[in-house]
Amino acid sequence: MRHNRLLAPCLAAGLVLIAGCSAASTGGKSGSTSLTYLTFETPSLTASFWDTSIASAQKSVPGLTIKKLVAPSTDRDAYAKQLQASGQFPDLLQSITPSTFVQAGLLKPYDQGWVDANFLLPKGNAYKGNVYIPPTNSQIIPMVFYNKKLFAKAGIGQPPKTWSEFTAACAKLHTAGITPIELGGGDPFAASMPLTGILSADVLGKNPSWLQDRYAGKVKFTDANVETAVAKYRLLAKNRYFEDGALGVKYADSITNFTAGKAAMYMMGSWFLGAVPKDHADDFGAFMTPTDDGSLVVPFAVGGSMAISAKTPAPDKATAFAKAWSLDPANYKALIEGDGAFPMLKGKTLADYNVNVTQVFKDSYTYVLNQNTKVSAFGWATNDDSMPSGLNDDYYAASQALYNSDDVAGQMAKLDAAWDKATK
Amino acid sequence: MTTHAHRHRGDTALGALAVPALGLYALFIIVPVIMSAVTSLTDENPLLAHASFIGAANYTDMIHDDALTASLSFTLVMAGAVTIVANAAGIGFAMLLNKTSLSFRAMRTVAFLPQVLSGVIVGFVWRYILAQDGILNHILVGAGIIDRPITWLGSPNLAMFSVGLVAAWVLTGFTTVVHLAALQSVPVELYQAAMVDGAGPGQRFRRITLPMVAPGTTISVTISLITMLKLYDIIAALTSGGPADATQSTALYIVKLAFTDDRFGYASAVAMLLLVVSAVVALSVTAVLRRREVDL
Repeated sequence: MRHNRLLAPCLAAGLVLIAGCSAASTGGKSGSTSLTYLTFETPSLTASFWDTSIASAQKSVPGLTIKKLVAPSTDRDAYAKQLQASGQFPDLLQSITPSTFVQAGLLKPYDQGWVDANFLLPKGNAYKGNVYIPPTNSQIIPMVFYNKKLFAKAGIGQPPKTWSEFTAACAKLHTAGITPIELGGGDPFAASMPLTGILSADVLGKNPSWLQDRYAGKVKFTDANVETAVAKYRLLAKNRYFEDGALGVKYADSITNFTAGKAAMYMMGSWFLGAVPKDHADDFGAFMTPTDDGSLVVPFAVGGSMAISAKTPAPDKATAFAKAWSLDPANYKALIEGDGAFPMLKGKTLADYNVNVTQVFKDSYTYVLNQNTKVSAFGWATNDDSMPSGLNDDYYAASQALYNSDDVAGQMAKLDAAWDKATK
Repeated sequence: MTTHAHRHRGDTALGALAVPALGLYALFIIVPVIMSAVTSLTDENPLLAHASFIGAANYTDMIHDDALTASLSFTLVMAGAVTIVANAAGIGFAMLLNKTSLSFRAMRTVAFLPQVLSGVIVGFVWRYILAQDGILNHILVGAGIIDRPITWLGSPNLAMFSVGLVAAWVLTGFTTVVHLAALQSVPVELYQAAMVDGAGPGQRFRRITLPMVAPGTTISVTISLITMLKLYDIIAALTSGGPADATQSTALYIVKLAFTDDRFGYASAVAMLLLVVSAVVALSVTAVLRRREVDL
């Protein structure tokens, strides 16, 4: 009897704990709903940014409470999978790669009418014809940022347009005792930036559907054109155009190194625009990764907002929150100024967001607004050109390996094998 | 009431006390291992609700998995090297700290400190120390020992060395305490008698210290090996398995397979392999060391 008396409160406490751990809850006397929202934090997208933006969007959905979850690293996909595996898949997921989750039926598409009505490129990140993350803003990944003073010091008048001009500029800088290219190779994604720029320019620039052709088995990483492009990256490393010990430099340090004038160029996503020092912003310019013939190729990725779980107990409220967040002008201001995001709302100009941006931001934004050859940023696109699940890690590892190894063919063969395994 | 009956009741009471511990052990160790073994026979994907039974396919796939071979080789080499270094250093520190004064007792606490810290914290702290512009390079360059910073974490070989160094630093705290406890049980008379017989420091170490701390060494080596074979946290924070997967331990590889590559079934099979390898290594080493204890 005594045991039973003890057992009952224990069971009740256990049930309460289990209920507390569940992903979302609805009901209660007031009809309130609680939903979980997976976010991530960076130096630009701080906890305060998320709290403010959540509070603002919450106001437009009466009875909704958002419980913020923060991914422990920038790899939101892996964390979302861990949550799914433990039965806690979030109701809303910020900036994930939809393809993996859509294939498992875990995401709910937005209504296309709303997307068409609000965004410049409504199908910019559509996957299999549906939009799972509103295309609120875009990034160019990577751009080549450069230090105008260091270029002048090395006698380089204009930013290079062709690959041969680019390598000549690197050689001049190297001879002048200036590190040509900053590389935060200690963080795998940052290590891959130069390769992403070269592959996007050379391979996707000539065949924008290369990634889809890879899915169809029509092309391979071991094809001559891909290996030739990759060999360019290897040449940069071999000629010591990156700083010494670049694979030991953390991403955060690479930003401060470049802004402090320790290197002349920095290949990074356009989010670096948010880190350009305001007090000497005019020292910095940007150009696209040069191609052999000088043609302009813009590696582009659209996204910026959140996906909605297909399993959420309150799809209407989740959608209303996501839409409110995606159109909130305050979020755009923070994302533009802090994260270098290029806004993609219809009928708006930069002035409409009341932002204080640098000249290099304005110049970079023209690449987005102008008619030019835009291709999916290799490894960053979240549309039909997104890479298979897990392949990004192999791609990053190949980038790091090629920093020290001449075995381009071997690394590309590894990528082909990893791709085939991932899509088996 | 007989003495036998008393003892029987005492045993029953003790057995009853062990039930919660055994229950928790079964719940958190045995059941997950069984679940993992079952999952290893399926093609389970963390994103999909249903999985199919595929027999031993995951196990046969391992034969052709170069990344698994690389991670397993790294893990085994690292386990062996770090276990040797940490235990050798542990015996050395234990002998140095085997004094009773207050300052030595304080130093013992300091020696054990790395073991108390979380592996993630240790990894992050050392990441800052070993960074290209980290404290270690500043000191070495400042002291004129090296001309330019060393890429401790950026080249595959040095990154492996760095992981080993940090893991050995952490484990040395543990091995020092174990050996110190063993040393304190060695009767001083043994050393005094040996000195009277003319034994030098080397002989005293070989003939008295090593045999007397052998049981401690067995425990220390076995636990060091197991810790290294399942090492995850320090590497995740220090190198994330890079550069170019050079420091990817098998534990790290398992997590990548499960949550990046979506191959839960295969990850479980690799986890089972790691369990078997760990058990074989730990049991073999324990058997050898136990035999050595007897020989000594």
